[in-house]
Amino acid sequence: MVAAALEPFMKGDTGRNTRGLLRLIILCTIAGAAVASRLFSVIRFESIIHEFDPWFNFRATKYLVQNGFYSFWDWFDDRTWHPLGRVTGGTLYPGLMVTSGIIYHILRLLSMPVDIRNICVLLAPGFSGLTAFASYLITSEMTTSPSAGLLAAAFMGITPGYISRSVAGSYDNEAIAIFLLVFTFYLWIKAVKNGSAMWGALTALFYGYMVSAWGGYVFITNLLPLHAFVLICMGRYSPRLYVSYSTWFALGTLASMQIPFVGFLPIRSSEHMSALGVFGLVQLVAFVEFVRQQVPNKQFQTLLRGLILVIFAVSMGALVLLTVSGVIAPWSGRFYSLWDTGYAKIHIPIIASVSEHQPTAWPAFFFDLNLMIWLFPAGVYLCFQQLKDEHVFVVIYAVLASYFAGVMVRLMLTLTPVVCIAAALALSSILDTYLVANNPTPKETQPNGQATGDVVKNATDYIKDSLRSTRNPVLGIYSYISKASVVGAVTTYLLLFVLHCTWVTSNAYSSPSVVLASKLPDGSQHIIDDYREAYYWLRQNTPPKAKIMSWWDYGYQIGGMADRPTLVDNNTWNNTHIATVGKAMSSREEVSYPILRQHDVDYVLIVFGGLLGYSGDDINKFLWMVRISEGIWPEEINERNYFTARGEYRVDDEATPTMRNSLMYKMSYYNYNALFPAGQAQDRVRGSKLPAEGPQLSTMEEAFTSENWIIRIYKVKDLDNVGRDHASAVAFDKGNKKKKTAKRRGARALRVE
Amino acid sequence: MRSFAFVAAWLSLFSSSCTAEPNLTTPLPSHKILQDNFKPPQVFKNANLLRNINLEKGYVKETVNVVIENVDAQGQDTYYIPFKAEVIGHVGGLEVRDKKDAEKPALRSEVVEYNPYSPIQFYRVTLPTPLAPKAQQTLSITYYVLSALTPLPALIKQQDKQYLVYAFSAYTPSAYLTQKQKTKIKFPTVDVPDYTEEPERQGSTFTYGPYNNIPAGAEQEASVRYEFTKPLTLATLLERDMEISQWGGNLATEERYWLTNKGANLDGHFSRVTWAATQYYNPPSSALKTLTVPLKIGSVDPYFTDDIGNVSTSRYRSNFREALLELKPRYPVFGGWKYSFRIGWNGNLKNFLRKLAKGNGDVLKVPFLEGPKMGEGLSYEKVDLRVILPEGATNVMFESPVPLVSSEITSHKTFMDTLGRTTLKLTAMNMVDEARDKDLIVTYDYPFTAAYRKPITIFAGIMAVFLTAWSIGRLDVSIAKPS
Repeated sequence: MVAAALEPFMKGDTGRNTRGLLRLIILCTIAGAAVASRLFSVIRFESIIHEFDPWFNFRATKYLVQNGFYSFWDWFDDRTWHPLGRVTGGTLYPGLMVTSGIIYHILRLLSMPVDIRNICVLLAPGFSGLTAFASYLITSEMTTSPSAGLLAAAFMGITPGYISRSVAGSYDNEAIAIFLLVFTFYLWIKAVKNGSAMWGALTALFYGYMVSAWGGYVFITNLLPLHAFVLICMGRYSPRLYVSYSTWFALGTLASMQIPFVGFLPIRSSEHMSALGVFGLVQLVAFVEFVRQQVPNKQFQTLLRGLILVIFAVSMGALVLLTVSGVIAPWSGRFYSLWDTGYAKIHIPIIASVSEHQPTAWPAFFFDLNLMIWLFPAGVYLCFQQLKDEHVFVVIYAVLASYFAGVMVRLMLTLTPVVCIAAALALSSILDTYLVANNPTPKETQPNGQATGDVVKNATDYIKDSLRSTRNPVLGIYSYISKASVVGAVTTYLLLFVLHCTWVTSNAYSSPSVVLASKLPDGSQHIIDDYREAYYWLRQNTPPKAKIMSWWDYGYQIGGMADRPTLVDNNTWNNTHIATVGKAMSSREEVSYPILRQHDVDYVLIVFGGLLGYSGDDINKFLWMVRISEGIWPEEINERNYFTARGEYRVDDEATPTMRNSLMYKMSYYNYNALFPAGQAQDRVRGSKLPAEGPQLSTMEEAFTSENWIIRIYKVKDLDNVGRDHASAVAFDKGNKKKKTAKRRGARALRVE
Repeated sequence: MRSFAFVAAWLSLFSSSCTAEPNLTTPLPSHKILQDNFKPPQVFKNANLLRNINLEKGYVKETVNVVIENVDAQGQDTYYIPFKAEVIGHVGGLEVRDKKDAEKPALRSEVVEYNPYSPIQFYRVTLPTPLAPKAQQTLSITYYVLSALTPLPALIKQQDKQYLVYAFSAYTPSAYLTQKQKTKIKFPTVDVPDYTEEPERQGSTFTYGPYNNIPAGAEQEASVRYEFTKPLTLATLLERDMEISQWGGNLATEERYWLTNKGANLDGHFSRVTWAATQYYNPPSSALKTLTVPLKIGSVDPYFTDDIGNVSTSRYRSNFREALLELKPRYPVFGGWKYSFRIGWNGNLKNFLRKLAKGNGDVLKVPFLEGPKMGEGLSYEKVDLRVILPEGATNVMFESPVPLVSSEITSHKTFMDTLGRTTLKLTAMNMVDEARDKDLIVTYDYPFTAAYRKPITIFAGIMAVFLTAWSIGRLDVSIAKPS
């Protein structure tokens, strides 16, 4: 009945409209699901900016909204990297901030004054809906099956690999960049398919947008030329490719050069050379094609060979010459670490110290992609079966992205779209095979001879009814059992996938990390809000120009939440400056104090997890500080001195003198003993008992410690009024007697040796 | 701080501070500008005067009950109250009532416009009917003095007791001869280590006087130093918005506070160890630890945030008997520290709004102040109150329970507005939390057409989008004619 009633809606023009409407509704639902699954943290905590980098983006967005575009473009920020400052307007990718700014102003125009913070928090979920739509579009270009695109959209919407960087509050460049990445690829495929300058120009436009949004644009810059190159090598050169590639390269390069941070990189750095090279190659091939039409075949071969050799030699030579002479910048450090995973650890500790730059662990693939990780190869295989131009693209993308995702955790993000596309291709081909395939009408079993007549017919009829196997002549994949089992299994997998995605999102990717949550014995949620407690204290009770020194991880947060100038932050553009801070943290007080004075430091902020068992604290990051400063002052800082003779990293009685005299150690454990009965002080992160006597500080005073001791803030003392050094001033305040005993103890130690 | 006090003094000098201002549209009553060498005419004498100084809270509350007698030959109706120039900028909530008839509305009192460099400034009280010669009348004058208490010692340790000094004149300042007077001081505790001369002591109450026949303007310096180990909480600014949604039947209130503790600063720095150790037995402290805000019963959806997001340390108890919002600042606010935050909640508009019997007018009755209510009190240097009426509301009139510095009607453009909502903006200075119970009454007209402006605008907007989309979709932009 229902089928009959629906019949008129499924046919002809109406049918097309109905399917279009249905597709629209499904896509909207997918976008809704994509947004909804990213809201865990907003519901559990609040509408808050997460982690570290987003705090800078948020601050920059606020600056843009308050001061307008031009002053944002020319923004020199004297509240970071004190005393150097940062040319922020010229050293950031403005796409994200400008996008939120535009949304903010449009909403304002429609008289909906939404707070800029809420726009920033919800930008990533909003764009994830668009990403789902973009992956629908790109997948629909790969196959004629209508279901593949929808599946890809659904995968893209909820896969943890993408959610990890786009939950509400994770206001980072990737929030919009993944949408732009997928959409640019879609436009590129459209351009290559149609050979249309319009699509090529659109590709360039979105490529320009991508350049303005994320440093990962280099991936596109290399992938599109690679695609073109492979197509040419496969002998698939066509005017379509020529038109689309030339349009994209010319316009896209111009567009990308408009971003101050990128500037002339597209013609000067090695990362961009492949695009330029392929552009030249495409021109050459086009020229050769043109010549071939004019010249007889025999001469053409010789001509071609000579031409290729000459041009290759000339361009190679030019490239080497330019690189050596320094016109073309060599590869950047992050790029080297893409080829050699050990490179960063040896040469650039600051890159290695970031956890998201570490190589990916195997379980992470399953964690982030779940069932798609085994559908992915199947999908790539299906691409090989058809292998049109667009399938070549998917294959190249799959190979490259798989490699990069294995090298760096954060590049899992670029792998995710192609995995979604390939998995959707594989799954839709399974579903189409089993669901859509009609029963072939059984061949009329023609009786062998005409003469047999009724007897035979009766016999076959008889057999048909009596033998079970002959009752249904249709077997194999056409039977309901096989259909049901395959479809059932796939549905189960998909449901499990949804379950897994929700679980991962809820448990792994939805913590703001500014706020920590714990459970009370009665099961209610208890929020540990030490970060904001201390940042707000700084914001309210210190002079607005007080300089705060902390390890660079907290620079953006201090800038965003405490609104105070910092010495170093997550931008990490100046390794020496970071090393200076590292040296101040890891040296003795007498060495650190002059450094602090020279840099006008008023307060020093450290993170200490010993009381609560919070493992991401500064003592655990301390070795990076030591390593980074050792890179600049190898004769003053030596990593070995922070380990015991047996090579252990300890904070208890057996900690080395260098360790126990370092400013970081002292600041972490200063006064900590007072919380415990004598001699019972315990560090819950490192699980060790602390020395009976706590460290003494003479050049600093404890200014504020948060409720759970996670943040400790110290005020750097001013110079002594009567010109003593701080150590003797403190000793004097405590009485002379103690000083004498200290001296005697020193002498005794000498005798023992 | 000094400059602020000066500005405040100026503002209050120019203010009209009648307690019952019926309509904004009527011109403010003209001021009599006094001459530089003005001295109040000696037409009254104070037959008997009793001053009560209450020091139990973080501000000074003075109540002067005075029997005045007309010594002139004619009926007189203008009584002057003198204040020192440095004090008058901190005087708030001055209210004069007829002691014999407390039910009557308060008498008209206002700051006199006068030479700002004169060391003595005046409040002028206008009696409702001129006082006949030889006749007597009893006035009850109440006012608060903000920022008059200074901690001594100015730096204390974290768990030390805090002592405050209040300097005053033992003779009640008056512009007239005072025949008989007494000054009573009520302290929060009996711990009063230092005080001027020998008052009569009775528990936590000191009495100075009686003094006889003190001439006009005579002063006798006195000061007391007493224990007050509680925070001296001062809101340098409170912005309070009340937004009416006639469609939603909702009254949304949001308050933004800039608090500071005027108590003794910390000697040295904050020590978490000491703080954590003392939290178990919760001793009195000069730090501000919690703020309790009693809301109207039935208030819902409270929030407590500051510049960097939600403050998770708050609790809301709501039942049919009470609605108590307990706020805990992110950190204990010690002397000299600051803390700014915002709180907000929703209430059912039915409890505040009533239709007028005739016409399409509405009358709104809302508390002027709903801030924290604490034992040690809370004072406000400046309160900016905005009542955001529905879009299209006209003919706004109000009656304020407290003296105002300024009032204006502006427009506030927010969600889905085309013209902006009519907003009544009132500014008051030097208030204390005792003004919590006083209601502001606003009447306005809300015509039927204004109520339907929003849905019609939205409908028109969406229709316009559809029409544009439809007409663009029908445009034929192809270069060649389709065959």
